[in-house]
Amino acid sequence: MINPLRSESVQREAAVMAGVVAVFAALPFALPLIGGYGELAVQMTAWAIFALGFDLLVGFTGFLSFGHAAFWGVAMYASCLSLIHLTPNVIPALIIGVVAGTLVGMLIGYLTLRRYGIYFAILTLAFSQMFYFIALSPLQGITGGDNGLTGIPNPLFFGTQLGDWHQIYPMMAVIAVGAVYVARRVARSPYGLILRAIRSNETRLQYTGVNVRGYRFVAFLLSGAFASLAGTMLAMYETYVPVQSLFWATSGEVVMMSVIGGLGTLFGPMIGAGVVLYLENVLSASIEQWLLILGAIFMAFVIFLPGGIVEGVARLRRLVLSRTGGDTNA
Amino acid sequence: MELSEFLLQMVSGLQRGSIFVLIALGLTMIFGTLGVVNFAHGALYMVGAYLGYVIIQEAGHWAAFIGVPILLFVLGIALERGLIRYFYKRPVTDQILVTFGLALVIQELMRWIFGGTNLPYQLPTWAAVPMDIGIGFFPPWRLLIIGVTAAVVLALFLMFRYTRFGLVVRAGMRDPEMLKLLGVNVTQRFALVFGIGALLAGIAGVMGASTTGLVPEVGMDVLVPSFLVVVIGGMGSIPGAVLAGLLLGIAQSFTIMLYPPLTDVILYVVAAVVLLVRPRGLLGLKGVAE
Repeated sequence: MINPLRSESVQREAAVMAGVVAVFAALPFALPLIGGYGELAVQMTAWAIFALGFDLLVGFTGFLSFGHAAFWGVAMYASCLSLIHLTPNVIPALIIGVVAGTLVGMLIGYLTLRRYGIYFAILTLAFSQMFYFIALSPLQGITGGDNGLTGIPNPLFFGTQLGDWHQIYPMMAVIAVGAVYVARRVARSPYGLILRAIRSNETRLQYTGVNVRGYRFVAFLLSGAFASLAGTMLAMYETYVPVQSLFWATSGEVVMMSVIGGLGTLFGPMIGAGVVLYLENVLSASIEQWLLILGAIFMAFVIFLPGGIVEGVARLRRLVLSRTGGDTNA
Repeated sequence: MELSEFLLQMVSGLQRGSIFVLIALGLTMIFGTLGVVNFAHGALYMVGAYLGYVIIQEAGHWAAFIGVPILLFVLGIALERGLIRYFYKRPVTDQILVTFGLALVIQELMRWIFGGTNLPYQLPTWAAVPMDIGIGFFPPWRLLIIGVTAAVVLALFLMFRYTRFGLVVRAGMRDPEMLKLLGVNVTQRFALVFGIGALLAGIAGVMGASTTGLVPEVGMDVLVPSFLVVVIGGMGSIPGAVLAGLLLGIAQSFTIMLYPPLTDVILYVVAAVVLLVRPRGLLGLKGVAE
């Protein structure tokens, strides 16, 4: 299976990245063939980047965040407010969105990262809910409150209006490929190694003189920046920011996608995002209780296959290889 | 502000805080003994509220007050035996994930059965009409919530202080490793703790549904403030949960009077301040779950 830590040759890395490019290029054309529609590719790409960033924190440091909606939502609001009030240019909006989301990360990170696993999950959930309630009521005049933020102009990219998904998807796909590349580089860098060490034995790492808190903080911010970038792009495409983007259910959704796909594998959470959105769009037309089904699928994975789809495929492969007498360690 | 108005807000705050206290007590007991953070605890509150709604219509109020906590106790034991216990040896993240999944599944099941709109929760006629309590008019129902919570806290105190089971639970919250080494079958006994926690959530649900609303999302709505109560009070501290619950309830109550838009935000502001000043919570013990 794809192990982000395995030292790979330049050729192999190039092949993997070529595969990623191919997937994002084919996505809008492939979706209509399997009962979806091209536009779904925009949703999938945004959520895939969101889940990828989530995995950089959770999959590598083991710190489970239930507050990633705060990055995603605040970045949505910040970028769209920039489109409305400053300039319809897409570049400043992207930057403002990511900066705003990262600032939120600094605040939440400062309040929560001093505490360990359980506290972290609870407190990230709580403080992201704080942003939801702030947007809902005290800042109603700016955010539109319960109605969400509307009246957002289509973003401009050097004079071209990015109104249609055909126009915005290529930009998103390029950013997504870049995000995958960055994430893989980070994961295989010495920095990524330290993140994994935090996960496996934090105390021992501390004794070796590593500033664990600092590394964790940076991982949290990096993860938040990915989530912000993803949220920013989706909001500019939708030209609408629902206040639910800050709600705990949004954090829950990225948690579920990532776990279903397979935490700690980078590609797993992205696959999870794609699978969940695909099923949601195909099933929710015919079945009203989509969330119930999603919850049940999620629970089944946590109980029986905590490694997600990636682990499932790896097991299946081992099974097939051992049946055919192949090398099981391959 | 007049004194009577101030006192009325205090009483109102105590009532809000009481619901937080009932839920947080269960959370903190379960965490303290089993080491599991139950993200489905709010869902248990919500199930209690819906069960109350059904039983009140079918068999009246008293049947609901007595029946719902018992049913929730049974549900709690069933959940612990059927699901949670398989997660004691799994990583903490798995415990959080599975209870979160459970919360979502229960929420969506209730939505399927009862729909997503707020259902009218019938109160007994004697309890619904506000009465004069000397400092102003206040619904007797809400006074009853404060009274029941006080009784529950007292009962828990007596159980912890004077029964053998209480002694074991206290020891377990303090140092589960040592207790295991002394030969006490911790996990088996603590299935009961999960049941009691669920029972408390049931009491909160059947009492509190009229004040918090009766929608499927109400579980998560009450869970998040209750988490804050647990953290502010000090993880695993029962007096801490009571103190922090009442504190947050009162803070919220005064915010409603002074500046309503901040009603839901104030909880997090208080929590942030407490965490910055005293990271282990108001009454958190040094070294416990730090």
